[in-house]
Amino acid sequence: MKNMKTIYIFGIFVALALVQLFIPAQMIWGREQVLKEGIAYKFKTRPVDPNDPFRGKYITLNYKLNSVETKDTLWTRNEDIYVKLSKDSLGFATVNKVSRSKFDVSDDFVKAKVRWYNSREHKVNFDLEFDRYYMEESKAYDAEVAYVESLRDSLPENDTYAIVHVKNGEAVLADVIINEMSIKDYVDKENKE
Amino acid sequence: MNSKLIKELPELVRNDIISEEVSHNIQKYYEGKGAATPNKLFLIFGVLGAALIGIGILLILAHNWDDFSRSIKTIIAFVPLVIGQLCVGYALVKKKGKTWKEASGTFLFFGIGISMALVSQIYNIPGDFGTYLLTWVVLSLPLIYLLKSNALALLHVVFLTYYSCEYGYGLGSYNPSPWLFFPLIFAVLPFYFNLLKQDATKNMVAILHWILPLSSVIVMGAFIKTEWEFLPLIYIILFGLIYNIGSSSLLKKERLRRNGYLVLGSLGTVILLLIMSFKDLWTELSFEILMNTQEVYMVVALFVMAISVMLFSFNKSEKEQSNLFKYVFIAFVVLFFIGITSPGIATIGVNILVFALGIIAIKKGTDGQHFGVLNYGLLIITTLIICRFFDTDLSFVIRGLLFVVIGVGFFLANYIMLKQKSRKEIRK
Repeated sequence: MKNMKTIYIFGIFVALALVQLFIPAQMIWGREQVLKEGIAYKFKTRPVDPNDPFRGKYITLNYKLNSVETKDTLWTRNEDIYVKLSKDSLGFATVNKVSRSKFDVSDDFVKAKVRWYNSREHKVNFDLEFDRYYMEESKAYDAEVAYVESLRDSLPENDTYAIVHVKNGEAVLADVIINEMSIKDYVDKENKE
Repeated sequence: MNSKLIKELPELVRNDIISEEVSHNIQKYYEGKGAATPNKLFLIFGVLGAALIGIGILLILAHNWDDFSRSIKTIIAFVPLVIGQLCVGYALVKKKGKTWKEASGTFLFFGIGISMALVSQIYNIPGDFGTYLLTWVVLSLPLIYLLKSNALALLHVVFLTYYSCEYGYGLGSYNPSPWLFFPLIFAVLPFYFNLLKQDATKNMVAILHWILPLSSVIVMGAFIKTEWEFLPLIYIILFGLIYNIGSSSLLKKERLRRNGYLVLGSLGTVILLLIMSFKDLWTELSFEILMNTQEVYMVVALFVMAISVMLFSFNKSEKEQSNLFKYVFIAFVVLFFIGITSPGIATIGVNILVFALGIIAIKKGTDGQHFGVLNYGLLIITTLIICRFFDTDLSFVIRGLLFVVIGVGFFLANYIMLKQKSRKEIRK
């Protein structure tokens, strides 16, 4: 009888352990699919440096793509908004259309949160969700500095951008580029100089 | 303490205070008692060690090592989790002792956090800190029951509180309420009741007596979103509820320092009433009551709970019936609604309430010969008088005299009680 109880408890524990393994594994699997098969877009951005108590340093990306003209005036704060993307001649992401519901699977779209509706300019402002880029502790602040300095060196404005893979409405931030170089390598190079 | 006593034994024998035999017996008694202690210490250090190692690994990984490739980082993400799971599995199958279960469970708890943190870093997952904490708490909740682990119950309450604050408090009125706090805190109650039933004298029980009410006090404010005027009302009822739980038959026999409900409920009530004893607060409180708000529902739900607990723990003894601390929240609710139209009456009412609470505490202190409670009562009245200095125009002479009177009062009350106590002891 006592043995049976142990077997039960152990059985439940094994099930729990599998769930504990499944959650991170599923997080990985979904993202790997997007990275492998998704289409890469470039988003113009500006990095700043905050941090998270357990997950470490990251930079927050403020995207230039954050509003679109729309006749719909009923947008409320924190509402989900789906943004259908297209590319301009240089490969940067632009807004094609916005909607309250998901677009077709064949379209490239991302989910965002509405910030506010500007009734004077008839524009809805939104925040793209992929705004966190984790960086090595020593580099996050330098990345912000490097960005400010790259502005001072009067590099072309579209020189800082994020590469984001998009598939079925899922987006994974793959890299941040300054001056045609991954921000990690850029900071390394700046530090060496 | 006992090692000092054992060292003294030969001297006591030499001076014929105790016999050789008694000395031998004392030594034997403490040796037998000592055998149980290292085990307990080992348990505490095991849990502390596991927790520190877990947090350490978490922080080391938060450095976000660029030198590792994505696949290596992914493997590292699972290593602490799997090690934790293997240890817990081993402890369960081999029916290992308490120490094993507590320590391995604690390590697994942090293993779960580590793996999710690392995956977030590798894939730049935007989820905010609150969601991360919530997933962590939910994934480790069943371990409390599987391992019957005290440490995990404690970690659960602490991290749940952390999550609720992270999710519910924030600038702006756009932060949602952390409703999941309720089901998740209720989920730990069966474990708590079981512990109470088995052995209420355990230290762990006392820790939970403190941490559970404290957690609810910390989190409650996160449910107040727009109608801030209800804050004093919600908190006074919460403190009333906590106090009534603390004075129910379940906990009444606990010593004061183990009964967090009673202490927190009483202190919270008094501090809040002292704040509300200022007239300015009431005059600024004029507002329309919007019935259909979350805050009103909270008030009603808490009030029903507090009244039920009060009636459930109703004691026929006259001494308990006169304990104003139990009913003061009802009086405040009445005053609150009077205060909307006539702030003056509410202010006077609250001042009377605080004064009465002070007197009752002094009486309880003298009746029970408890210096702590006696001085608590004196302190309540002193603070009330000091508060009134701010909004009344008294001359310096009168203020000075009042302080001298209070000082003499403190001295006399303690002196008289000390005398009484020593007289009683002599009589015995």
